[in-house]
Amino acid sequence: MMKINQPYFILNLSPWPILMALNTFNLMISNIMIMNFKFNMMSLMNMFMIISISILWWRDVIRESTFQGNHNFYIMNLIKFSMILFIISEMFLFISFFWNFLHNSLAPSIELGLNWPPKNINFFNPLLIPLLNTIILLTSSFTVTLTHLYLLNNSKKKTIIFMNLTIILSIYFLMLQMLEYNQATFTFSDSIFGSSFYMATGFHGLHVIIGTIFLMINLLRMMKLHFSFIHHISFELAAWYWHFIDIIWLFLYMTFYWWNN
Amino acid sequence: MVLEVDGVKLETAPWDPRFPNTNQTKYCYQSFLDYQRCKKIRGEEFDACQYYKRVSKSICPNAWIDKWNTQIEENRFPGNI
Amino acid sequence: MTWLKLSFQNSNSPLMEQLIFFHDHTIFIIIMIMSTITYMMLFIMNNKFINIKISENQMIEFIWTTTPPIILIFIAMPSLHLLYLMDEIKCPILTIKIFGHQWFWSYEYSDFSNIEFESYMMNDLNKENFRLIEVDNKTIIPFKFNIRLLISSDDVIHSWTIPSLAIKIDAIPGRMNQINLFMNRPGMYFGQCSEICGINHSFMPIQIESINLNKFIYWIKNF
Repeated sequence: MMKINQPYFILNLSPWPILMALNTFNLMISNIMIMNFKFNMMSLMNMFMIISISILWWRDVIRESTFQGNHNFYIMNLIKFSMILFIISEMFLFISFFWNFLHNSLAPSIELGLNWPPKNINFFNPLLIPLLNTIILLTSSFTVTLTHLYLLNNSKKKTIIFMNLTIILSIYFLMLQMLEYNQATFTFSDSIFGSSFYMATGFHGLHVIIGTIFLMINLLRMMKLHFSFIHHISFELAAWYWHFIDIIWLFLYMTFYWWNN
Repeated sequence: MVLEVDGVKLETAPWDPRFPNTNQTKYCYQSFLDYQRCKKIRGEEFDACQYYKRVSKSICPNAWIDKWNTQIEENRFPGNI
Repeated sequence: MTWLKLSFQNSNSPLMEQLIFFHDHTIFIIIMIMSTITYMMLFIMNNKFINIKISENQMIEFIWTTTPPIILIFIAMPSLHLLYLMDEIKCPILTIKIFGHQWFWSYEYSDFSNIEFESYMMNDLNKENFRLIEVDNKTIIPFKFNIRLLISSDDVIHSWTIPSLAIKIDAIPGRMNQINLFMNRPGMYFGQCSEICGINHSFMPIQIESINLNKFIYWIKNF
């Protein structure tokens, strides 16, 4: 046996990494099958597999951290640092969308007749639903911070109330975004304008969905008393992610909605 | 630079400081657009319009000019004329 | 042909002349560096002694960090100069539009009446032509004049290349790329597509016939 003289937790053997890797590979291949043969059974099965593996893997992590207490402060620092790196990589994903948008809007191509927005695109008023969405997201950022405050103050009831509020606000945001997509007079295929707009806001929406799921799981864990006022790293990471989504939205609102008009 | 040899005038679109790059796509498009605008205001026979017409003919691929003319005829040209 | 396989083709334009000079200049510097390094390596390998002053030797550190940038400046200056010279367009008398297709080139001379033609590779092995680089319709261009070339493509990316004129420019669909062409003397100049563009990529050669202006005008009148 290896003598334990370092602070890091050595993981037990786990089937999830290899299974996840194989299923991700399969998902890529089955997406090609969707594109080429319109056959989506494979992809759905793989999505189901990936979701199941994710659930089981995260269940294991919760067991290791909360129930076995393996996540000490060194591990917590590592996890926090990984989350920072992950968020930075996500930022670069959005930077590419902004770059694409600015490139195409500051010097529109000749296919658009050097016009931006292109002819016959009726863009919606940024001061209506989008502004409301901005307010909703900012409020949810505020409530998630309040949740953190009450969690630090060991006040379970208020923590859960504000957590619920945050999730309700995020779902409200998603519903409004869906309403707006339904009302839009232009589509994904309406020139680079539609493509870049739906690409960026759609990816933002996807991130809101991911963030909401993250917050929901944290709410569940809060109600099951998984968190203490010194050890609640999952919630902290969810809050960081939520702030990140909020900031991205602010930039999206400024360029894609407000400046675009 | 204009050269005339045996009755053939060698003259082409000049270097345009608005388009100093290797990419000359917008030189082509802009002169085509200018020709269409000029034609709309001053008529085709106007001297300046002829200049733009010559430049766009020299710079633009014939296929593009044909395509844009069809678009204008069918009233689906993306530019502002 | 044997020597041309080892080095550049003879230059036919001022730019290519300069590029060959630049190439020689760079090779000269590389040989200088190589011989110095080889000498030093052999010297070190055959040396039995140990230098007690080699570590923390600030002087040698200073020398080996400052000399490479200085050498690089001597390479970069003429390189950048040439790079910008190649982009320059100088009062062209003629514009030739060149389009890449799968797998042939087409040319448009539309300064006069519209001259359009396509040039395919010669497939006739009975004649005494160069194999795979001769075309049926040669591109006729007058020498000693500045010509503007506009290169584009109709399908995939191709690249229009004449090594002896220092021209290699990508043909990109939806975009016109401009380059200046100036030829010193009459002759036949050959090139091939230089961007892999599909199955017959190697069979879409470029052939320029460089002739004097009067002959060129004659050709235009009788096209």
